[in-house]
Amino acid sequence: MPQNVQEIAPLLTLSRVSKRFGETQALSEIEVMFQAGKCHALVGENGAGKSTLGKILLGVHQPDQGEILLEGTSVSLSSPAEGGKLGLVGIAQELSLLPERSVVDNIALGREITNGPLVNTKKTRQQVLEVMRQFDMYLEPDILVGELPVAEQQKVEILRALSRDAKLIVFDEPTARLATHEASQLLQLIKSLAENGKAVIYVSHFLEEVLEISDTITVLRNGEHVRTNPTNKETRDSLIIAMTGQDLQHQYPQLPKLKNTDTPILKVKNLSRKNEFENISFEIRPGEIVGLAGLVGSGRSELAHAIYGSTMPDTGQIEFCGEAFVRTGVEHSIMSGIALIPEARRTQGLVLGRSILENTSLPYLARLSSWLGLNKAQELSEVNKYCSNTQVKHAGLHMDIDSLSGGNQQKILFARAAMGAPKMLIADEPTRGVDIGAKRSIYDLIADMASKGEAVLLISSEIEEILGMCHRALVMSRGQIVAELSGRQLTKKAVMKAAFSGV
Amino acid sequence: MNKILLFSRNYGILIITILLFLALAITTDGFATPRNMRNLLDQQSTILIAASFMTIAIIAGNFDVSVSSIFVAAPLFALTVENSTGNAFLAVAVAVLIGLSMGAFNGIIVTRIKVNSFIGTLATSFMFFGAGFLISERSLMRPEGEIYQQIARTRFLGITSAFWIALVVVIIAWILLSKTRFGRNVYATGGNREAARLAGVNVDHVQAVTFVMLGAAAALAGVINSSRSISAQPSDDFSFVFAVLTAVIVGGTSIAGGKGAIWRTVTAAFFLAFMTNGFNLNQIDPIWQRIIEGIVILIAVSIDAWTQRRPG
Repeated sequence: MPQNVQEIAPLLTLSRVSKRFGETQALSEIEVMFQAGKCHALVGENGAGKSTLGKILLGVHQPDQGEILLEGTSVSLSSPAEGGKLGLVGIAQELSLLPERSVVDNIALGREITNGPLVNTKKTRQQVLEVMRQFDMYLEPDILVGELPVAEQQKVEILRALSRDAKLIVFDEPTARLATHEASQLLQLIKSLAENGKAVIYVSHFLEEVLEISDTITVLRNGEHVRTNPTNKETRDSLIIAMTGQDLQHQYPQLPKLKNTDTPILKVKNLSRKNEFENISFEIRPGEIVGLAGLVGSGRSELAHAIYGSTMPDTGQIEFCGEAFVRTGVEHSIMSGIALIPEARRTQGLVLGRSILENTSLPYLARLSSWLGLNKAQELSEVNKYCSNTQVKHAGLHMDIDSLSGGNQQKILFARAAMGAPKMLIADEPTRGVDIGAKRSIYDLIADMASKGEAVLLISSEIEEILGMCHRALVMSRGQIVAELSGRQLTKKAVMKAAFSGV
Repeated sequence: MNKILLFSRNYGILIITILLFLALAITTDGFATPRNMRNLLDQQSTILIAASFMTIAIIAGNFDVSVSSIFVAAPLFALTVENSTGNAFLAVAVAVLIGLSMGAFNGIIVTRIKVNSFIGTLATSFMFFGAGFLISERSLMRPEGEIYQQIARTRFLGITSAFWIALVVVIIAWILLSKTRFGRNVYATGGNREAARLAGVNVDHVQAVTFVMLGAAAALAGVINSSRSISAQPSDDFSFVFAVLTAVIVGGTSIAGGKGAIWRTVTAAFFLAFMTNGFNLNQIDPIWQRIIEGIVILIAVSIDAWTQRRPG
């Protein structure tokens, strides 16, 4: 591989690039240069324009104004195919692989070596193996892609890009779906791609990752270019201030004080479910926020669903409010006072295409109905009350839920939970994919629910969130609780150590 | 400008139907006459009854092809009862009960055994058609008393009872879907099954009930059809369900589930009826009628696909 690291001339230059979507100015007059051999990070809150910028580089979106220069000459990228021909490729959050085809087939897709109309299987395979060798990324060539874990599937996509002589690779939130150790492997790989002379563009929410792997950081805010600096001139705090345009406020609210005399709201004893979790025992008292930490796949969400009643455990007991809790299903759990904010907002939480009103009141329609049908006036006033309590910004309760930003959609789920006046809230990754401002208001909502005496089980992959928001933390690994940490023991290091203990 | 676009996207089918009505009223003799309109209302009654509840089943995320077989088989059960007891009302009750049970069977196949609804109801169709052949002993059946043929043919304000029954059924379906908890649960289940389940909706129950109600509606439509023609015969003719589906889909109810409305289906049923009626009055070759009808369905589903693709 030629070492282009010394080269100063930029590979790709954006000159006064602007883009509008309807009423929203997604990007305005962006000027930025990307160099070969460098990892260049784009950071900003949701809606700052970082993904849009990435998509313009790939030809997914076309700029309304401005110019894109590739190695000094102006190019027009009218489609991703065109971008691909010029060596500009993207690795997206949602992978574009064929799960039922093999690794080789996926990597070679569209670039198979042919003899006339027939594919030369042997030569094609050799070409793929050659790319694997060159970049030291080996995957079993004949395994079906659908059988690989997400992290390996990403490698398939990266190999596909490399086999097409990519010059510039855009990674859009590539670690969002990975467990911590998988993410750190991917970051190493991305770093080595830059060292091999590729221009890497890294779009991410995770500031720690960005600071770790990038050479240059560009901060965007509301579609505007705030600044571009070498990474060693930035810190986590300086980035947050640049992204939000505000002074650094306290990130977490004050937690309510606990009374030791209270009897537990939830008591879980020896709960097990095959292939998911084993022998889980713990308690939560009123007003207590208990964190549930651990790697993705350690059984945290599965445990949450078993307590909530959307799945049934094989063995073990649950006591809720001092009584044995016989779960007959979700409806009964909601009536008894358990609320769940599920992990995947769009696929498990919301009914997209329906209104804010309908999404909020959905679990409580029985209470709002009489033999005359639904009492729409009462529904509207209750939903209105809870949506304003949770400070949802909306243009009308009859608007489609999809008209809201991610943070506001999440607040709708909190409003829905609060409307049931629950005794216990299970929140599974409640701040995933929401911007920093909305994060703080979600933390306030959780603290507020706890101060009213509700028990809270907070599942999070962000260790800072566990440290900042919880009275006590349980750490899961391979389906078991491997540590219970509180007070001075509750440190980042202790949580990490426990989370990796069984792996 | 944007508002006009949004309005025409939401009410496009209504606008087109009104325009078609006006165009035919101006250009075609014999279209906008009371007699022609009365006939149209009478002819649409069976489709309206089945299509209203088909709309609900499709919004809940399922497809039901067995509507044809229930439409054919249920009146044969009704006439068997009528022939042996002479009681027309008992006959109707039995037919509707048969429809309910057939719908319940579909519901079990789809929600408990988790067979894809299209395949599952295709399979049960053959069973129900077969039941029709069995009960009728493969022969044409006729009502023995006078009352049975009056079910659909009694006139009130000049319009047949078939249409009045359809009107009541449509109103019941509309209230169920837009005014009740059940209706909300139908939209939520079809829109996002998992989210609805986690919000405490009994999604299996909701989907099963849509099949039960559709089964009963199809049976009622079958009875009205047999009362109108004073006969019923066993067959394995799928054409009824296609007419029903065409009305639902042209109306803009999404076959992906979660989206749609009863008024859309009713409007589309009349749009299609006006179109066919216009063709006939203008003596257009039936072969061309089919081709044009196919194009209209394609345009309707293309518009649906196009609006799905557009962001916001």
